[in-house]
Amino acid sequence: MHHENVVVVGAGLAGMKASLLLAQAGKKVHLVETLPLIGGKTIKNEESFPNLECSTCLVAPIQQAVLQNPDIEVMTMSAVEKVEGDDGDYTVTVKKSARYVKVADCIGCGMCYEPCPVSVSNEWEENLGERKAIYVPCPGSLPNVPTVDPEHCLKLSGKGECTACVEACMFGAVNLEDRDETVKIEAGAMIVSTGAGVFDVSKLPDLGYGEYPGVYTPFEFERLFASNGPTLGELKLRGTENAPGKIAIIHCVGRKECGYCSGVCCMYSFKFAHFLKKKLPEASVYNLHSDICVPDKTYQKFFDGVNGTHSEMIYNSSMESLKVTGSGDGLQVTYLDEAGAEKNLEVDMVILAAAMVPEEGTRNLAEVLGIDLDAAGFFKVRDDDIASVETSRKGIFVAGTAEGPKDSQSSVIQADAAVGKVLAFLESLKPQPEEAAAGGQG
Amino acid sequence: MQEASMKAKIGVYVCECGPNIGQSIDIPRVLESIPALDGYEDVELVPKSYGLLCSPDGKEYLKKEIQENGYTHLVIAACSPRDHDSTFMGICKQAGLNPYLYKIINIREHCGWIIHDKDAATEKAIQYISGGISRVLYQSELFERQLEITPDVLVIGGGVAGIETALSLAGEDRKVYLVERAEELGGSAARFASLLPRQQGGADLIKSKIEAVGENEHIRVLLNTEVESSIGFLGNFEVVLAGKSEGEKTDIKVGAIVVATGCRMSDPRSFAGIEYADSDEVYTSPEVEKMNTGGTITLRSGEKPASVALVHCVGRGEKGYCSRVCCNYMMKIAGYFKKQSKETKVTEFFVDMCVPHKADQKFFDESARLGIDFKRVRKIGLSGTRVEFKGMDGKKQHMDFDMVVLASALEPSEGTEALAGLLEIDLDDRGFYREAHHTTDPVATSIDGIFVAGASQGPRDISDSILLAQASAGRIRAQLIPGGKIVPEVKVSEILEAYCTGCKTCLEVCGYGAIYFDDQKGISVVNEAVCRGCGNCFGSCPSGALRTKHFTNSQLLREVTEALK
Repeated sequence: MHHENVVVVGAGLAGMKASLLLAQAGKKVHLVETLPLIGGKTIKNEESFPNLECSTCLVAPIQQAVLQNPDIEVMTMSAVEKVEGDDGDYTVTVKKSARYVKVADCIGCGMCYEPCPVSVSNEWEENLGERKAIYVPCPGSLPNVPTVDPEHCLKLSGKGECTACVEACMFGAVNLEDRDETVKIEAGAMIVSTGAGVFDVSKLPDLGYGEYPGVYTPFEFERLFASNGPTLGELKLRGTENAPGKIAIIHCVGRKECGYCSGVCCMYSFKFAHFLKKKLPEASVYNLHSDICVPDKTYQKFFDGVNGTHSEMIYNSSMESLKVTGSGDGLQVTYLDEAGAEKNLEVDMVILAAAMVPEEGTRNLAEVLGIDLDAAGFFKVRDDDIASVETSRKGIFVAGTAEGPKDSQSSVIQADAAVGKVLAFLESLKPQPEEAAAGGQG
Repeated sequence: MQEASMKAKIGVYVCECGPNIGQSIDIPRVLESIPALDGYEDVELVPKSYGLLCSPDGKEYLKKEIQENGYTHLVIAACSPRDHDSTFMGICKQAGLNPYLYKIINIREHCGWIIHDKDAATEKAIQYISGGISRVLYQSELFERQLEITPDVLVIGGGVAGIETALSLAGEDRKVYLVERAEELGGSAARFASLLPRQQGGADLIKSKIEAVGENEHIRVLLNTEVESSIGFLGNFEVVLAGKSEGEKTDIKVGAIVVATGCRMSDPRSFAGIEYADSDEVYTSPEVEKMNTGGTITLRSGEKPASVALVHCVGRGEKGYCSRVCCNYMMKIAGYFKKQSKETKVTEFFVDMCVPHKADQKFFDESARLGIDFKRVRKIGLSGTRVEFKGMDGKKQHMDFDMVVLASALEPSEGTEALAGLLEIDLDDRGFYREAHHTTDPVATSIDGIFVAGASQGPRDISDSILLAQASAGRIRAQLIPGGKIVPEVKVSEILEAYCTGCKTCLEVCGYGAIYFDDQKGISVVNEAVCRGCGNCFGSCPSGALRTKHFTNSQLLREVTEALK
């Protein structure tokens, strides 16, 4: 009975929570994820605000529960290509890219990485580290099964006859003959939870990203700080062995360009200040902010705990006038203070607290799903009610940051709400008792 | 205490985990040493090894082994229980062995992977396995129970969140009781002329939802009614509702409870620096909403004000949180004044502009175009209709206005604390209902089966309040399936009546309200359906009357003693 099937697109926090709740309701879930691992953006963080809990400890049990749930089929390295049908009768076409490692046979021992002769930049690690052609994105990836990158694998790219990983695997799990496949899923409803990306800071050349190695994006800093990251959590400035001594965190990067406040950057910036002082107690941390946006009952307290002790708060009255330039070995941040006077700040590290933007591929997915986007490019919800998780296509719902910038709590609330709507929708598809009886007589 | 079985036959299976255990631990030596362990003379130990027990072949093998050998207990030396405890419990069930007579021992992470010396790793593995064998002998069969549930739901609070929850859940096979202590539904939102974030007509929208409630035969609305008592757990709550008049009681049985008791505006004069008299032209935002809904916003004289100050962030410092909604609704109120008369001079005093929704910035920009003067300040005070503030330059200034509107911090509704006490759910340090987990479980509470919707969980606008209501409804739909059953925790605490001295320590430490006191017997009693098996009571009981199944003193002591021998 395909009305009992739900396709969830995107296995971040919202998608995982929605899948677990749907499975609890007795539904069969197909969880489609483009990456080789599940967990979403949260697992890139060492700790999550506001309680500074270890993110892995927060998310790993959820990942495990998803992977071990017999009613959730996790489809990694997969993308939705087509959705046919309507009114709860959908046929969803999913393309599964070849993983080249059999998930059922692999136990995640990691013996296959070592002999691989290829070394390339690890995009999941924000290109701060390297990986092999057969790899897991980071230690602790779940499912703990590597994937082969066909573009760089010598054999798969036709550059050589290397089968080192195949030979290294004791379980015969590596299969370089693996091919992409296309599957069709009959489903009654869908939830889109593909998350958000980060504003491309190179669009603002005045901020020096790409030009000065000391300028970081938020996820670059998260991975630099993470104990399972490329430096094992050692805070070393890019290309050097030195820890930063003075760090400027610049708020509201891209707010004007995007046309909205993302509601989370202040909090993660304060978290960064906490991170920096925890590992580098002697460092000077400056938060260059405009509006302090702490919209949760617990956030002000977090801010108060950082303000003055972990970071000096500097009011930056004009984001458009702010510039980051080189100054000797370090960096200089030029900004306008509250009176509009130009000020300079000498630092050796700059972290750009950039806005949340629609995830890459959102526009394409919207076309595939046949649903509308809003002006900012996020998935649009129906606006004939005060609040909604329903998209423009019946039976397709949205949850998490795919709908707009928000914190993790709000993402989970939307996931629970979307599940409620899906369950109500699926129930509405069932023949009414009278109809069923009439059908029986006919 | 249960005695060790005299004729036990224990299967002890060592998983090689491919090279992971096979290479770092001397498995043949482990297998040889098991029958030679001291203290198991009356027990038949059957040690075996296998390449990869979690593989499909391995699972089939294990199932067959259990069935053919007639084991009374099973010990598996393999990986972390986080990886495969549930896998092996499942195989025990399939093979007909009670899964609580099995034990997994982690010789991979705890031995093979962290000790480079193979001999030492092997020694440690043998010790651990010995501990497991010893423990499993003291384990008892436990059985899952299934409890009937009632799918019906009680919603406490008839504001917008409560109404939405009721509408989301009521249906052919689920009845909803919507309880409101006031004489009408609608809550605070019913008085707003327009609702954020899209400025829909508030009163109309709420009215149409109230009508939908009235038309829904599966929703029973009880006005002028409050909850008097509640006991129970997910699937089965018994609640007594009390009306205003003497003896007006209604007993109901529900499977879940949603608290949607909302928030209110705090008294601005309770905050330092905000001083005015009742006769001053100083109003709170709900008072202005009411005037606006009535037609015109006027001074007490009946005149329209020529200049208005809208003061944000009142009480933010004292309360210790940002109320999230004030910036947006103050811009909305500024719009009311501008709509009434373009000539009105409107000044908004704010510390930070909090506009965290994707649509908010646009609203802010549009408001700015209405000619509203946004004044960013460091600190705001009030003396009558004189706004005293510290500017961004740090200098103290003041400005006089015809009228002042205050956005005072939102706080939990009156009675929130009493209701939380009655339902035994936790409050946070700001007095709102505390979520089961801030980030990963935001609409559940500390009691399974009680959820929270709307601004009683924290300050929220109407739109977000409704999302919380829909989220609570989602949780209930998923967990309380009409005709379904629930399986409560198996590893619960139990009380040995003869040992209980009635000191009540366990009642204080139980976070789930699972222990009550039997006054007649003078002892504590565990409600097994509510208990989650956390072990708090077990640890705190001074007389040894409490124990948590599957984690009894004898089980733990035996395992530790053997492992450390």
